[in-house]
Amino acid sequence: MAWKIFLFVLMTLVCIAGITFPIVEEPSKWYHFPLIPGLEENAKIIFFHVPTSWITVIAFLMSTLYSVRYLRKKDLDDDSKAYTAAQLGMIFCILATVTGAVWAKFAWGSFWSWDPRQTSIFALLLIYGALFALRSAVDGEEKRATLSSVYSIIAFVTVPFFIFIMPRIMKGLHPGSADDTNAGPIVDFKMNSNMQVVFYLSLIAFTILYYWMWNVGYRSHIVKEKLQKQIS
Amino acid sequence: MKSALALLKKDFSSEIRTRYAINSLGMFIVVTVSVILFSIGNEKINEYLTGGLFWVVVFFTSMSGLSRAFVSEEERGTALTLQLLAKPESIYSGKFLFNVALVFSMNLIIAVLFSLLFEMFLFKNLLLFVFAFIVGNVGVAASSTIIAAIIAKAGSKGTLYPVLAFPILLPLILTLIELTKQAMDGNTVSDSSVELAVLFCYDVIMISAAYLLFDFIWKD
Amino acid sequence: MEQFFADNAIYIVLVIVLIVWAGIYGYLYTLDKRLKSIETETKGVKK
Repeated sequence: MAWKIFLFVLMTLVCIAGITFPIVEEPSKWYHFPLIPGLEENAKIIFFHVPTSWITVIAFLMSTLYSVRYLRKKDLDDDSKAYTAAQLGMIFCILATVTGAVWAKFAWGSFWSWDPRQTSIFALLLIYGALFALRSAVDGEEKRATLSSVYSIIAFVTVPFFIFIMPRIMKGLHPGSADDTNAGPIVDFKMNSNMQVVFYLSLIAFTILYYWMWNVGYRSHIVKEKLQKQIS
Repeated sequence: MKSALALLKKDFSSEIRTRYAINSLGMFIVVTVSVILFSIGNEKINEYLTGGLFWVVVFFTSMSGLSRAFVSEEERGTALTLQLLAKPESIYSGKFLFNVALVFSMNLIIAVLFSLLFEMFLFKNLLLFVFAFIVGNVGVAASSTIIAAIIAKAGSKGTLYPVLAFPILLPLILTLIELTKQAMDGNTVSDSSVELAVLFCYDVIMISAAYLLFDFIWKD
Repeated sequence: MEQFFADNAIYIVLVIVLIVWAGIYGYLYTLDKRLKSIETETKGVKK
């Protein structure tokens, strides 16, 4: 119960800090953000865009973990959990893609430029889409659960290529890629300490929010399945 | 291993009897390449584009041909017999080897056609391309075999296969296109060792994941 | 007041974001509560 109030306060604080704290060239007060060359005011997206893509990966990881658990224990509840995680992952993936594209319009000049990061998030979208297509094509709960579990595990072993290897070995525009000269790995050294604090608070807030949504989602899923069994 | 080879032999003899791959896949390749030729017309296209088109043709040919490995067993109703006769690992190995052979012969035909029809399809460093070709083909065969196994158990088999296989094959194909470009530029093998390592890792990860997971798909 | 908001448009963005966030939070909260009651109900049916 307490963590829900905590989430509300935290997210409100993150919104206030992330949106209104000014970006100045020489940070002197505690609420000043440093000016990052090449990003300027656009840098504020980090408090909202990065957490969404972080949640995308976390959701995918959870979906895979529950898939593994389903394959080991054959408990349909685990399948509901994996499915809900994938659903939320899809939502946050779309959010990350759209916010990234809007940001890219102002930072790079076009909505979409097939930067390695954009390619990788596009591939994630495709994986989620394929997962739902597979689920809708199979009848029979257990078969569906098994097949989608296997598919999400196979997809998960290729995802590291996208998220962790490709954007780093290929040249790109996104902050943090291989030949990034103007807006280097921001998290490491370009943010000052209070920007990092707000950034990590934002990550925590989004993670708790995701956990709550996932919790509500899978519980409703389980209740629905229970009721269906009682009726039939 | 012995039963895997026996399965491979069985697939080969059924292939020779029906001549499915030779007839329809060969024709599929010819049709796709001629569509590309028609759409290009008399334009001069640059060499990188031919490299990309090559992998496009490879992808779609694999998508139309490789799903048969398991779908045909389900269609003929021999899946259950196979389940009784052999261990899942050896079934996967047999099908995988057959698909490797199929992919290699398909892609060789495509490569020969491309080098005959497109003047720009030339490599300054052929060795690098051959390396990428071999490792890439194994990767394509590995992931499409396991996806084919999933597809065979699901409904709506035809359309679902490319949908499921594309995201899995995407890292492979992107790296292959990159490598093809580099081979056309004349990079040495050690210049592109990172990309080759990525391809190799992909193969290893895919084959081991497929071995571990094939059990679950095949059992029910 | 009006002049202040006209000069600092970012605060208007802040207010809108906060209202949206409060809405999402309230929705999730009621959904959670309703789900809890349904869960206890279905448990009662089973016994």
